[in-house]
Amino acid sequence: MLRKEQNDLLTQTGPGTPGGRLFRSYWIPALLASELPENDCPPARVKLLSERLIAFRDTQGRLGLMDEFCAHRGVSLWFGRNEDSGLRCPYHGWKYDHTGQCVEVPSEPDESGFCKKIKLKSYPLVERGGVLWTYMGPPDKQPELPEWEFATVPAEQSFMTKRIQESNWLQAMEGGIDSSHVSFLHRGDLNSDPLFKGAKANQYNLRDSRPVFEVVESAGGLYIGARRDAENGNYYWRITQWVMPAFTMIAPRGNHPIHGHFWIPIDDHNCWTWSFDYHSMRALTQAEVDAMRDGKGIHVKYVPGTFRPLANKDNDYLIDRVGQKAGKTFSGVEGIAMQDASLQESMGPIVDRTKENLVSTDNGIIMARHRLVRAVKALMDKDAPPPGVEAAHQRVRSAAVVLPPDRPFVEAAKDALIVQAGVAHASV
Amino acid sequence: MQSESARASSAVEARFRINAPNSRPRAIKIIALDRPSEAVVKRLAQQSAWSNATFLTALAGAPTPGERFSVTGWLGDLAGHTKDLLNEISGADQVVMIATAGEPLEAVSIIGEACSLKRVMTTALILSPASASDEALSRSLAQLRPWSLMLVVASAEDYISDMLVALRA
Repeated sequence: MLRKEQNDLLTQTGPGTPGGRLFRSYWIPALLASELPENDCPPARVKLLSERLIAFRDTQGRLGLMDEFCAHRGVSLWFGRNEDSGLRCPYHGWKYDHTGQCVEVPSEPDESGFCKKIKLKSYPLVERGGVLWTYMGPPDKQPELPEWEFATVPAEQSFMTKRIQESNWLQAMEGGIDSSHVSFLHRGDLNSDPLFKGAKANQYNLRDSRPVFEVVESAGGLYIGARRDAENGNYYWRITQWVMPAFTMIAPRGNHPIHGHFWIPIDDHNCWTWSFDYHSMRALTQAEVDAMRDGKGIHVKYVPGTFRPLANKDNDYLIDRVGQKAGKTFSGVEGIAMQDASLQESMGPIVDRTKENLVSTDNGIIMARHRLVRAVKALMDKDAPPPGVEAAHQRVRSAAVVLPPDRPFVEAAKDALIVQAGVAHASV
Repeated sequence: MQSESARASSAVEARFRINAPNSRPRAIKIIALDRPSEAVVKRLAQQSAWSNATFLTALAGAPTPGERFSVTGWLGDLAGHTKDLLNEISGADQVVMIATAGEPLEAVSIIGEACSLKRVMTTALILSPASASDEALSRSLAQLRPWSLMLVVASAEDYISDMLVALRA
């Protein structure tokens, strides 16, 4: 249960809201680099934190992210001409550079300097790891560039997709730290999905569907450990990382690539679910990339030409009641990503958390909300930078390890929980 | 035509959700296992008008050395009155044990056994200030893990209050 005022605080992320200010403390993923594949390519619309924006890559390769609408008559610059180092409105020819500065107003004499008085709100946009990142906060508080490991390994070791999720970001993100649902909702996929199957870890998972959870605060967020019995009195641990406000990294399985997510608000009723896979030591195989493109693992198939999942609310997620009854899937929905998204969207655009009945295995969710509320208040009251902004908070890894029974996993797996160049993820 | 899922998950439809209680109150027993935690639990008890929470301490009811072993003691209320462990546990839906990293936790196995016997869900919460050593935390974990179905290591006591609100205590 969460009080209404706290639910509002965390779910409302538009301009001027405390939750919006929290998100505006971070570099957040805005677009795939492939959405702006070359200089002077067509611009791309993007909505983030309840603001309509236009992104473009100019003639010199400079990236721009600014107000979608021309300052003259409010035309969408999605129709704009990306030419000669600027984006030109096709209505009356007003032209903007990558910072949103108007550089030409053809109807006015050049000497008037009128165009210098026109500037669209803009945000920095940088390319890193196949993702275009933006920072939407005050310029004087702009943090170091993002240091997530998936974005710093060579391109052939990493794969990223994004999809629209038609729910508030918080209920989507909470699914990522709700480790106890895996044994139910995704039980059919551990042994069949090409990006999960074959790992020894799956035997521990399937042998014990009631793990014991431990939640421990980290500098940037939380460690969520799920513990199962292993051989010789030891424990098998799956340690998920949550870094504030919206990053999760799932514990690895065998030598498979490591998966994780960002959940970034589009507006209060929709969010971008970013899904990455990477391997710290090797290039992804063609078979792995093909599987990801085919919607396996945590990825989805799309409605062609869009970022909307092919299975979506308009087709009842292609639910297969026969398959559900036969045990092919637990919920009747195909694929790990849409199994989660279908249920999270069914809660409604913003779930009413005053009606929840949480239980003790929900402590990961309770602690995440607690830390988010605390961070928002510290930001509002003391201008304190929230956890997760520092690069050190981002250089983290999830881990799957077997440990002696009496050790804190955070201490026993200390080295495995941070990025170490040239060292593989700790995995079972 | 709109699909059933599209219509049902809209903001408009959210207005028609039944506005009636969907659960009955849960009885939650919050038990301090050591001296510093007892102070925490006392502060918690005064903090809010808890409707379903009972605050207890394992210290007030613990038998003195040499006294004949009995499972009827072991718990006390915050006024220092001894409470019957099995009676208290029998009436609980959930037991939350509060411990401080490195403190002795003599009562945990007795309380844990009682919860196991009565099939009551246990959560252990270790307060581990930044000054607590890994060794101190290890000692606490080793004692609590066998008896906890959920374990939280928190840096500050204000988390306990949020957790109890979330659990509708």
